[in-house]
Amino acid sequence: MKTFYNVATLILMVTVLAVSAFAQEPGPETALVNLTEGQGAIASTGAQAWDGLSEFVLIPGASLMGASSTTTALYLGFTGGSEADIGNMVLYSTPRNGSTVVKVTKVLLGGSSSPSINLTSTSVCPIQPISATNPCFVRLDTVKAALSPLDDYYFTVYFTLDTNNEKISGVGQSIAPGALSGWMLYGDQTRIGVKGALPTNENSDQPPYFLAYITNQ
Amino acid sequence: MKTIFKIATLTLMIFAVSGYGFSAAKAENLERGIIGPVGSNVSWSGYSVIAQVPGAGLIPVTSTTTVFYLGFTAGAQADVSNMVLYTTARGSSTITAVTPITLGNISNPMIDLASATVCPVVEISTFNPCIVRLDPTKITLSALSDYYLVVYFTASDSNNNAIGLTAPQFQQSSLRGSYESGDETRLSVGGSIPSSLSFSNQPYCLMYVMTD
Repeated sequence: MKTFYNVATLILMVTVLAVSAFAQEPGPETALVNLTEGQGAIASTGAQAWDGLSEFVLIPGASLMGASSTTTALYLGFTGGSEADIGNMVLYSTPRNGSTVVKVTKVLLGGSSSPSINLTSTSVCPIQPISATNPCFVRLDTVKAALSPLDDYYFTVYFTLDTNNEKISGVGQSIAPGALSGWMLYGDQTRIGVKGALPTNENSDQPPYFLAYITNQ
Repeated sequence: MKTIFKIATLTLMIFAVSGYGFSAAKAENLERGIIGPVGSNVSWSGYSVIAQVPGAGLIPVTSTTTVFYLGFTAGAQADVSNMVLYTTARGSSTITAVTPITLGNISNPMIDLASATVCPVVEISTFNPCIVRLDPTKITLSALSDYYLVVYFTASDSNNNAIGLTAPQFQQSSLRGSYESGDETRLSVGGSIPSSLSFSNQPYCLMYVMTD
């Protein structure tokens, strides 16, 4: 019986040590890496009245570059306008090359899924005024989810129907789209539920208008 | 003393089990695969599909195995006569190695596209393409080489007349491909990838190249 207790104690100690070792937080020096290839040259042809429009961006699992990360950071790029009023942002998950939604993840900025982004503020966009040569990149709140190469993802942002959004423009559609492709649709396309079907991409493989980069942090 | 041995054995087992659990690798892309919705191209009896996996497109993920995934959009059964992977020097058409590719350990499988165990969503279509994972190949892809996966669909075969292969619509993949009438899987080391083939388009059928 004594031996049994000794063995049980040892198992417990080994387990505690193993869990402790593997649960170590990564060092603060974790490098910023691309999870997929983002947009290259900035074109700023994303200029049009975006009020009441949604942008879809396909983030293909087949393009993920193997960087190990439990978080995902999305960056929006702006080249014009004074304020972007977002109605909602989500990240849809689908099977690879499929169109049926299997998961919907909220995407936030400053804890809100419907932020107003002040593009004339130097705390948001350090170089003023913003333009194609001085684009403003806004890092959205880190999504606490790892992207899987076995799934596809669609980032969807809806711009509220208001006058501010009539004047904003995005960094796309660049001539170097990387692995991303995007298109726009009228109305709020961020409300599709699980098992719902994503709308057809009628813009083929054109680069996104606003989503520029996808990194681990 | 006996107890010490018992404890030592138990500790070793715990480490072995926990090590195995933590080292289980997940599948990663070795190349940028086919992206976005796919179209379909039908009737492949007597044709070889040739997919180029360029060394210049390799993602720096370390792996001693390579797994190819094929995509089907129509048909009840695909009858494959042979599958191989040719290796060439980067940018060269001279074959330096020929590696057999198998499914279920055979290089001439019949793929039952109507089976839910093969294609979970039946009936397959462009909306629900069936992705078939071939057996892992014990080869480490090198950035200094190019690779050509060739699948020959049996000739004079009514099943293959009805099959549809995935046809990429988006252009962002690193994979390239072509096709040709006849069996192109019988080339040998020292032979050449046919110069008549153009690899300006993305491949039919081959969808992904991964570690697992």
